[in-house]
Amino acid sequence: MSRFEALLDAFFYRPDEDVSGLLDFAAGSDGLAQPLLEEEPVEYLAFRLESECYAVPILAVREICKVPLLTEIPRAEPQLLGVMNLRGELLPVYDVKLRLRLADAPPVVAGPDAGLPPRAARILVLKTEDGPAGVWVDSVAGVVRLKPSMVELSPAGLRGDRDCVAGLGRKGSQLYILLDPEQALAP
Amino acid sequence: MTPGGKALAEFVAEATEILDALGRDLLALDEARGQEADPEHINGIFRAAHSLKGLSGLFGQERISQLAHAAEDLLDRLRLGRLTLDDKVLDTLVDALDTFQALLGEASRSEEGQELTQRTRAMEDRMARLGSPPPAVEEDPLERLELDGTVRAVFTEYEEHRLRENVRRGVSLWRVRAAFDLTDFDQGLADLNARLKPLGEVISTLPSSRPGGANGIAFDLIFGAKVDARALEAGLKGTPAELAPLSVRPPLEATDTEVLPPLGADEEEEGDDEGLVETTSLATVSSPPLGSPPRMRAVTPPATVVGLQAAASAPIPAGRPKSEETSMRSLTQTVRVDIGRLDGLINMVGELLLIKANLQRLAETSGQDGTVALSKLFGQELSRETRQLERKLEALQEGLLEARMVPVGQVFDKLARLVRKIAREAGKEIDFVSSGGEVELDKLIVEELSDPLMHLIRNAIDHGAEGPESRLSAGKPRRAVVRLRAEQKGNHVVISVSDDGSGIDEVRVREVALARGLVTPPQVSEMTRRELLNLIFLPGFSTRSSVSALSGRGVGLDVVKNNLGNLSGIIDVWSERGKGTAFHLTLPVTLAIVRALVVGVSGRTYAVPLNSVLEILSVQPRDIRTVERREVLDLRGQTLPFLRLSRLFHLPEREVNRHFVVVVGLAQQRLGIAVDELFGQQDIVTKPLGGRLSGVKGISGATDLGNRRTVLVLDVAELLEEGIAQERRRA
Repeated sequence: MSRFEALLDAFFYRPDEDVSGLLDFAAGSDGLAQPLLEEEPVEYLAFRLESECYAVPILAVREICKVPLLTEIPRAEPQLLGVMNLRGELLPVYDVKLRLRLADAPPVVAGPDAGLPPRAARILVLKTEDGPAGVWVDSVAGVVRLKPSMVELSPAGLRGDRDCVAGLGRKGSQLYILLDPEQALAP
Repeated sequence: MTPGGKALAEFVAEATEILDALGRDLLALDEARGQEADPEHINGIFRAAHSLKGLSGLFGQERISQLAHAAEDLLDRLRLGRLTLDDKVLDTLVDALDTFQALLGEASRSEEGQELTQRTRAMEDRMARLGSPPPAVEEDPLERLELDGTVRAVFTEYEEHRLRENVRRGVSLWRVRAAFDLTDFDQGLADLNARLKPLGEVISTLPSSRPGGANGIAFDLIFGAKVDARALEAGLKGTPAELAPLSVRPPLEATDTEVLPPLGADEEEEGDDEGLVETTSLATVSSPPLGSPPRMRAVTPPATVVGLQAAASAPIPAGRPKSEETSMRSLTQTVRVDIGRLDGLINMVGELLLIKANLQRLAETSGQDGTVALSKLFGQELSRETRQLERKLEALQEGLLEARMVPVGQVFDKLARLVRKIAREAGKEIDFVSSGGEVELDKLIVEELSDPLMHLIRNAIDHGAEGPESRLSAGKPRRAVVRLRAEQKGNHVVISVSDDGSGIDEVRVREVALARGLVTPPQVSEMTRRELLNLIFLPGFSTRSSVSALSGRGVGLDVVKNNLGNLSGIIDVWSERGKGTAFHLTLPVTLAIVRALVVGVSGRTYAVPLNSVLEILSVQPRDIRTVERREVLDLRGQTLPFLRLSRLFHLPEREVNRHFVVVVGLAQQRLGIAVDELFGQQDIVTKPLGGRLSGVKGISGATDLGNRRTVLVLDVAELLEEGIAQERRRA
């Protein structure tokens, strides 16, 4: 470990701060920076719901597609927006904003009264235990790599049954709310 | 095809399969010429001959049946060791196989050649005359085995023979004792057998003299091990089996070079004292060694295999006496296809239908002037070709659907076997009558039917049919009759399970439903008898206070009803006290492709399977009456429940000056479903909602109508139910 790093660690490190940028810089300046970087970063897909930034593990995402025509299912739970036909496969599409209390009522996006979907809106097709399911997002932000030290997991005991926030991730000034796909789509 | 041609084709297909199996075992024996024959193979051939005899008897194929009978006799003698398998016998069997092939060939052409008949006779004689007695045995090797005489007495002749063989060859014998729970002993026993099989030969399975615990059952397996004790123990690790060696006295004169010292003999301990009593026979000398006959003539194995599937009209293989015409062409034209592949093809046809619909639209628009700049001739050409395509597609679709059809008899046969077992366990005397097994249904539906039918039959035997004594005192014949019948009714198949037992006690049904809180007293007071009977389909309903092992665990008819619902079917019950009970299952013939009526409600589009649509009415709002606040229509003097789809689905209702009413019906039930628009008919391939959406009510799946928009398919059976339940609620 270089003296530079040790000094940084001793004086500047805060658990809630990300120093990866600096370390990367340090790694460029001398070739001995590796030992501290053994933490494997995990890739997350970040997206926006209303004004907040959310992320799900990228391994849970099967694909991202534009919002197709949705067919509403009569008498279904409110967070089920409808079904879509993806290359012959029938997929349910959910709205997680209700569960996250970002909205009071589901948007009208299916049926004859639905307008055109916003240009940036996408459907994330997530892999879940009960089969693939689509989730409406307002826009896709991109892929972020978060090291475990940048992630603050919600204490398991404090999470309610229906709590679908698995934790918080920080990268620089950006805060990512990590979603648990299984919980978010649980009936 | 000649009348009965289908039956004949079926016979030929099955007989070919049997001969294939027979040939495989024969080939294995042939390859092991001169060595000790594997009893499994001889048994296999014996079973094949036996099935062939039964099958050909059933189809009136006298010659095959008689030859099979002769072969079965011969094989039985072989199996029991009354005849040794020498080259002569083996050759005879190979010739017999050829004769079978030739006979089957003639049968498939509905011929009966004189020459072949004579050859068959000769073959039968030859088999009957065969019979060099087995080498004389002076001491019965069995006498050397220390096994209780009472145990020996229950062996079948075959088991005794196998045991004798094993003793003679000096195989180490074990008694494997295992206790299982009564509920799943068949599974446990099968597992144990599978474990034992690679380690040696299971000679006999006997119920153990020792009880297997409170609700268990114990078995003694007499086992001839090919491996030593340690390997045997290792192989049985994890099973409830206990091992005890069966000791064998050495032959009195040690002349027999073939007798190997029992494997693992050094580890032999004193066997369990019970059941093992020293025999006191003073017989002498064991059997002389079996001289291994020289390998005379290698029948080229591949040729034999080919010959098995060969038709009778075929070239002549050299060297075969009275040579046969054999060829590589197989007799049967049957191909076995995985149902998944057919599903794939059906899906493909679905896509083709969409393309066709698009083409049709193009053709139509090109016919109208102005929209597209095309010559009139071209437009006509296009429509003509589209119509051609439509016809071909219809034929393709029909053919595919036909390929999926199997007779329901497949399930009926399985159930018939089960009935005997259930009746025995329940202590009832039952006559099982099934009819209509030839009615055809989609393979998938037939598969899904076996569980519900089994449940209903169990109920009929367990709850419906009375015991012999109470039947006699009620003035009925001693034996109860359980009937299973299938019948085609238009686009549907009705399967009924009925008994002539005591019937359902609706008073008791009412009490139980009230006691379990399934219904409230005011609800019950207005129910008709029929509605009361239908309470038995509610989850958690079971009238028997004691739970029997067979049925009556409280999950029962509701599961049956759900299973049927998944097949778009409906179940109905009829019962009369003292006379019996009947369940009627109404099922669609196929689920793969259905013709649907496309309707519009509040701007949404839905598809209604046409097979349940009876008629379509146009109704003015003033024609809708209310009876006790439920909306009904008067349809030719009959009251028809009226259901507004928009209201049921919580869609914004539109003001209309006339309703289209789609009258749907399944079994006895009718319902008028009000919609806003009718768009016409279309063939649809329904995709089930499945997975996360399986809880959605009133929708059976979704389909694509060609405009890239997913359209939901209404589940008529569920809507009927809801329509009727709604009435009940309001009443």
